[in-house]
Amino acid sequence: MFLKKLLSHGQKEQKVVDGIEQHIRLLARACELFKGALETGDRKLVEEIVHLERQGDAARRDIIGTIYEGAFLPYLRPNLCKFVENVDHVFDLLQETALYFREVALPENIQDVCVQVAAINREMCDMLLITFQAMLRGEDLREKSLAVRIYEKKVDDIKFDLMADVRRLPVRDFWEGKSVADFLTGITSISDFIEDATDSLQVIHLSMR
Amino acid sequence: MWKIASGVFLGWSLGANDSANIFGTGVATGAVRYTTAIVLTSIFVLFGALVEGPKCMETVGELSLLSPVDAFCCTLAGGLTMTALTLAALPASSSHAVVGAVIGVGMLSGSADFSRLYRIVVCWVFTPVCALALAYVLFRVLGYLINRTIPSLTSRNTLYRAGILLAGCYGAYTLGANNVANVTGVYVGAALLSAEVASLVGGLSIAAGVLTYSRNVMVTVGKGIAPLGPFSAFVVVLTAAATLHLFTQVGVPVSSSQAVVGAVVGVGMVGDVRTVSQRMLGKIVLGWLLTPVAGGLLAYALLRVFFS
Amino acid sequence: MKVKEFMTRKVEFIDNNQSVYDAVEKMVDMRIRSVLVRFSGMDQESGVITARDVVYKVLAKGLDPSTVRAKDAATRPLVCVDENVSLDEAASVMQERSVSRLFVCRSHQIVGIVSLMDVMAAELVKKARGSHVS
Repeated sequence: MFLKKLLSHGQKEQKVVDGIEQHIRLLARACELFKGALETGDRKLVEEIVHLERQGDAARRDIIGTIYEGAFLPYLRPNLCKFVENVDHVFDLLQETALYFREVALPENIQDVCVQVAAINREMCDMLLITFQAMLRGEDLREKSLAVRIYEKKVDDIKFDLMADVRRLPVRDFWEGKSVADFLTGITSISDFIEDATDSLQVIHLSMR
Repeated sequence: MWKIASGVFLGWSLGANDSANIFGTGVATGAVRYTTAIVLTSIFVLFGALVEGPKCMETVGELSLLSPVDAFCCTLAGGLTMTALTLAALPASSSHAVVGAVIGVGMLSGSADFSRLYRIVVCWVFTPVCALALAYVLFRVLGYLINRTIPSLTSRNTLYRAGILLAGCYGAYTLGANNVANVTGVYVGAALLSAEVASLVGGLSIAAGVLTYSRNVMVTVGKGIAPLGPFSAFVVVLTAAATLHLFTQVGVPVSSSQAVVGAVVGVGMVGDVRTVSQRMLGKIVLGWLLTPVAGGLLAYALLRVFFS
Repeated sequence: MKVKEFMTRKVEFIDNNQSVYDAVEKMVDMRIRSVLVRFSGMDQESGVITARDVVYKVLAKGLDPSTVRAKDAATRPLVCVDENVSLDEAASVMQERSVSRLFVCRSHQIVGIVSLMDVMAAELVKKARGSHVS
């Protein structure tokens, strides 16, 4: 019975790992859809993003539930949960930004820049998954972490000029201006939160050394 | 037979206190359930006492010439010394207290063997030192091997979980093997019990203490070692157990708490962390001096006042 | 990885008759390291002014940047690559021509700039992705 309990812990850990990978893949899919929505102007894709966000929430609840049912040493659990919450934070922001997108009408040059940022966000999701898998294998995360920071820096560089250009945009009223501002803040902050999630992977990696 | 009651009481308090050194980290961090910890500790303490307990009995029992009444006073003095020092928040080792009590009784009868005492004191001093060195080496070697062979997070998690359990079982075994002599070794010296029966009685009394009264101390002590992390905690418990086992082969009962302190310092030294303070060092030295003296004086007083 | 994935799309121009000082102002305000010099009457931009040009050709010679024309300090011709060229090829071109930036073209239109920093960052990302390179 005792041995069975010890071995069953391996299954719970695997369930958590599978759950986290699925969560990140859902996020990547949502980022892909958002990029598509920006490229084509198809606002119907926003509904799919909202649907994916709900799936992401369900995945998060499952993962955290399994963790506290006994997966992994108690020492690791808070850090793992923090990582899952960080990914969920990205998801929430993405959904919020997608909803703002439905309300705004952007000039072509700004829209092109937004597509660029959305493409980088998508790449960062891939990198996040790669970093998570590397962390599981016990590899050094330095290169992966640097790659994420490179992407984030690119978004920061774009953001600076984007915000300068946007100030010259004419707006009808306060609410239109606010929607545009919130949309642009959201889309350029997604990379920051993905970077935070990557940093929390580094913490998990170091805590098991 | 009433004379062994004090020994049983001493064993019970030893079990209640010292079991914290074994599964304290595991329980405090939630890696091991309290019920699992105390059941495993009781089983392995008894096992250790039965298998290797007699090895240290001679050292304690023949430090002085003891009569059954002398033996009773020694264990009573040992138990009272432990209780008083614990209440005063000072470190209390049953090994130090009982050895001091036996010498105290021996000085009254003029039969104390100071050449044997010298050997015992050297072992006490070397307990934290050996634990420090062993912990440092184990941490480096095991750390290197694990990094090379088990890089995966989930595999390492399973390894540490199993490691904490196995090290705990080993620690319980060596606690029984090494410290049961403190509890009932004097009765063997007084020819009241055979070594085997003394091991059984001592082992059972320690197990009773573990099962009934170890929770508070286990969580408190465990939390102090817990911040080291799962691998460090595993090395600390393993080292303390190995140190006790080593001194069991030498035939001298030593302090498990001081073995743990030495191990924690040794592990800390790997990361260049200063885990020893002047205050801690002072407490260890105080333990070496104050406890046996207190035990000796109390045993002496008990004999003079109640049994002269 | 292709250069278009890592290039900077921010491309700024000045007219060839404007001063080097105008170019410097633009570089500082826009936080860029090069400004394209457009020659009037021609279809294509034909030169570039970088910080190196400003320092070596103007400041180090004790000249006043507000009196020197952009066309006199610009480096010509531009070194261009197609946007679908790989990063490795871009790096080779940079090495062969001893330049620290390339201009990225699509149908003879300049659409971006890729610098040594961009190539370095892209190579690091490529290495980090390892077998997951898309």
